[in-house]
Amino acid sequence: MRFLSLLLALAPAAGVFGLWPQPRSLETGSTALKLASDFDIHVSVQHPPSDLSDAVSRTKSFLQNDKLGRLVVGRGSSDSSALKTAKSLKTLQLSLSKGATVRSITEESRLALGTRSEEYILDIPADGSTATLTANSTLGLLRGLTTFSQLFYEWSGQIYTVEAPISITDAPAYPWRGLMLDTSRNFFPVADIMRTLDAMSLVKMSQFHWHVTDSQSFPLVIPGFTELANAGAYDPSMVYSPSDVQDIVDYAGARGIDVMVEIDTPGHTAIIGAAHPEYVACAEASPWTTFANEPPAGQLRLASATVANFTAKMFTAVAKMFPSTVLSTGGDELNTECYAQDSETQADLTSTGRTLEQALSVFTQTTHGALKAAGKTPAVWEEMVLDHNVTLSNETVVLVWISSMNAAAVAEKNFRLVHAPSDYFYLDCGAGEWIGDDVANSWCDPFKTWQKAYTFDPQANISASQAHLVLGGEQALWTEQSGPENLDPIVWPRAAASAEVFWTGPGGNGSEALPRLHDVAFRMRQRGVKAIQLQPMWCALRPGQCNLDS
Amino acid sequence: MILRNWLAMVLLLSPAPRYTTALWPIPSSLSRGATAVKLSSVFDIHIDISSPPADLVAAVSRTRSRITTDRFQRLVIGRSTTDISSISSARTLTSLSLALHPGSLVRSIADETNQPITSRSEVYSLAITGDRPSAILIANSTLGLFRGLATFEQLWYDLNGTKYLLDGGIDIVDQPAFPYRGFSFDTSRNFYPVADILRTIDAMSWVKLSILYWHVIDSQSFPLHVEAYPELAEKGAYSAEEIYSQNDIRTIVQYANERGVDVVMELDSPGHTTAIGAAHPELIACAAKSPWASYASEPPAGQLRIASPATVEFAKTLFDSVASVLPSKMMSSGGDEVNLPCWEEDEETETDLAERNITIADALNDFVQAVQGVITSHGKTPFIKSDMVLTHNVPVVNDTVVVVWQTSEDAVSVAERNLRFIHQPSNYFYLDCGAGEWLGNDVLGNSWCDPFKTWQRAYSFDPLANLTEDQHHLVLGGQMPIWSEQSSPENLDPIIWPRLAVAAEVFWTGATLPDGSPRLGPNATSGRNALARLNELRYRLVDRGVSAIALQPKWCVLRPGECDLDS
Repeated sequence: MRFLSLLLALAPAAGVFGLWPQPRSLETGSTALKLASDFDIHVSVQHPPSDLSDAVSRTKSFLQNDKLGRLVVGRGSSDSSALKTAKSLKTLQLSLSKGATVRSITEESRLALGTRSEEYILDIPADGSTATLTANSTLGLLRGLTTFSQLFYEWSGQIYTVEAPISITDAPAYPWRGLMLDTSRNFFPVADIMRTLDAMSLVKMSQFHWHVTDSQSFPLVIPGFTELANAGAYDPSMVYSPSDVQDIVDYAGARGIDVMVEIDTPGHTAIIGAAHPEYVACAEASPWTTFANEPPAGQLRLASATVANFTAKMFTAVAKMFPSTVLSTGGDELNTECYAQDSETQADLTSTGRTLEQALSVFTQTTHGALKAAGKTPAVWEEMVLDHNVTLSNETVVLVWISSMNAAAVAEKNFRLVHAPSDYFYLDCGAGEWIGDDVANSWCDPFKTWQKAYTFDPQANISASQAHLVLGGEQALWTEQSGPENLDPIVWPRAAASAEVFWTGPGGNGSEALPRLHDVAFRMRQRGVKAIQLQPMWCALRPGQCNLDS
Repeated sequence: MILRNWLAMVLLLSPAPRYTTALWPIPSSLSRGATAVKLSSVFDIHIDISSPPADLVAAVSRTRSRITTDRFQRLVIGRSTTDISSISSARTLTSLSLALHPGSLVRSIADETNQPITSRSEVYSLAITGDRPSAILIANSTLGLFRGLATFEQLWYDLNGTKYLLDGGIDIVDQPAFPYRGFSFDTSRNFYPVADILRTIDAMSWVKLSILYWHVIDSQSFPLHVEAYPELAEKGAYSAEEIYSQNDIRTIVQYANERGVDVVMELDSPGHTTAIGAAHPELIACAAKSPWASYASEPPAGQLRIASPATVEFAKTLFDSVASVLPSKMMSSGGDEVNLPCWEEDEETETDLAERNITIADALNDFVQAVQGVITSHGKTPFIKSDMVLTHNVPVVNDTVVVVWQTSEDAVSVAERNLRFIHQPSNYFYLDCGAGEWLGNDVLGNSWCDPFKTWQRAYSFDPLANLTEDQHHLVLGGQMPIWSEQSSPENLDPIIWPRLAVAAEVFWTGATLPDGSPRLGPNATSGRNALARLNELRYRLVDRGVSAIALQPKWCVLRPGECDLDS
């Protein structure tokens, strides 16, 4: 890291343009280099997997179609004289390091956390001679292609960089660089999810956390359990069929993204009652504030063996739909009053002689047992570890959400963890109350700015011996107040903030980052993602002139 | 399950949530029956006016087309299929007849929209009686008819192409509480293509908003083509593609006027004018001077050199050139956030002041008088920002309309000066607040006007608060603004809709609901009351291609009142 910071310190402030996340090691020059009209990308890999060939085609298409002008006053016009004498780059050569196994990007993306290889080395000489991209895996090559496509700008039909020669050696600091999307409170068509995956891939995110169901609707069609979506989806058109899921995980995999699905249980399940009322306690009970964190109330009757077995079998079926090694059973915001007032649950507890906590542990072991049998690693929300006395297997992944302060406690229990703290990473905060007849602000006010997310330190309060437990983190969109209408602007470019924190590592300087974040946001817009403007364009074209102190 | 029973009982006992005509803004007088009515397959709209104006004919044609293409279904569990039996026995409405009261002048909607703000007639009455095959819409003006058409369009639900309503026997007599119901649109900090503006105007007209207050230029860019000074946009726009040409302006204004929306243009001056310096650096003091915080409220710094006679002449020609292409009877010279150190440290300004032996306050008075003079010479009412009057005590033309923006508390002070005003308070109506700091290097900063102004907050605004009865006539209405530092075409719809509709109801309906109860009564923002209607409006907007945000999970939307804090 010392070497890296030295490099960054030496680089001229305006010298590093559009790369987001910032590579771990980067050397750039100041020579203009343009793409030859017959520029091509050669893959020196025997029998290249088809998703690698597709990634190469996409990269060529981005290079041609991004048509992004450099973010300086006059855009590219000031580069026209440099371009007259610029050498032309004819070839980018992709190769794997010797002895590397040739697997598809998709397979590499779905390897167990901690065993994926994303590092790559990219060299672009200034003299027009062949640029080279090498990696240990096709996934590394994809990351390198992503970097390559971010280096080029367009002016007057020329596609070029002004920073050759470029030499990059890059690898992520953390394997889990995620985004969570809730598709239950409001529904999102498949096309919206795919566009989101494209944008995630542009900033080298690796993990899509799909919070697919909740108490409000059940849009996932699970083979063998189709009644859940039939009765629980908002509309027959608002479902994810098995083939939709297949399309989404394939699309994600080809873009270096693993999909962890979450079926939140045993809370957040009121809508299961639409198909199976006998499985749900305190369904739509009033006042909801007594029985749930938000309406409608309703939780699985976890003390019932029938319900536990049903849930475990459902997870077995879900596990077959999702190729990821990780699958989440959720587990947040369990409401004990719901069970205290539910006569069926009380009867089950009495007959089994268990406390509610014991019943929760049995329930969780049942569902996690099913996942284990399916070859999956379970993931849970933090309460399962911090608030409840649940026996969990060592490899369980714990998502910290209530507060960033809780990560240390999870680490102390020796669980691997993913940071999703509401005080840094919740994308929905700050838009006011959505509950009726209440003029309050959102519970997690204020709005979490990109700057705030960018200051996140994944190792804060975590001891060195526990550092390895941090898998990474994710920003999250809960969708009580979101839908397809505002998906892009509420997520982008803010969610890119954590992509850099977990790729490059923490400690980045926000003032240095802002011009690059502008750049990637402008590139997203060129690719049809409606990322918001962070500043007036006047400022975007004049880095540093709209700082608080400039 | 005792709880369920208790809940069901409460629902049975409470007044039925009959919000099926979820009109927004709610009409000032509304009665309805319980007869299901559907539109005949040959339903038509007749205009009983000889030689109806073309824009009325076009409006009728749009209404007819939208009634066909709208696919919005009723927001109940099961949606419109719940109503199949009601629809099958529904009476059929074969026509809607439009007529003007005898003796009314027949003018185009655009002409009516450009009448002076206090002399427009927007009143209309609409009757859909349960037993007659024809509905009747009557008004004193084509503008009133247009407002009635907007209401008519909101009445219908779709089921597989059949358009129906459930509470036929509808009798509406409606008119606005305030004539000025606006949206202020900043197209300088970031640029918006014409299509985005037109789409916004359409949606505005659906909720009976009457004014597009166009904050077209500012310090960051000058996207307005000015006939007298084409170099201002050539040099000051973000790019050649990001300019509103004369033709664009004509298109926008005409499109708006035909939809009952008057376009009030603001040329913010003498502050917020740095972009003029791109073409005319000699006119600008402290241009992009650092540290900007000493010279402006936001970067880049730069203000017109108001002490220079040449600059004043330039401003007069600028206002004259722009005023002459705009049909509105109103125009604004802005005037917010002028910065005194900018002028005090400007050598040219100090020299001019010394030569003329005047103070900067004198120069500011002269400047405002000069541009207001140009505005009034075009027969337009001048608008000005409240700090010109309250902070700088600048004398203004008597019939000036003051835009109260810093805080809602300022309205009283303006009223005490006996000036007319519109409400645009940042503490209720600013649509941009709450999204964090946009300035660089301010890591934990939030937006200056935090928090986010929720629809509930805006809805709680009382236009007559703290005013004496004899001051009420000074209130023309109000508007919600979007300042575009962090906005652009990418988030335009979601950041303004459906919140902007709240201003439409606050200023159309005023302080009372049709039954005479206060708009801000108990449970005003309950899912059984305003929230249910606003949810419906949001779904109608989305159905028509406006990307309005969801206010709640759809689960709640389909179950009005079940997601209240106390339900």
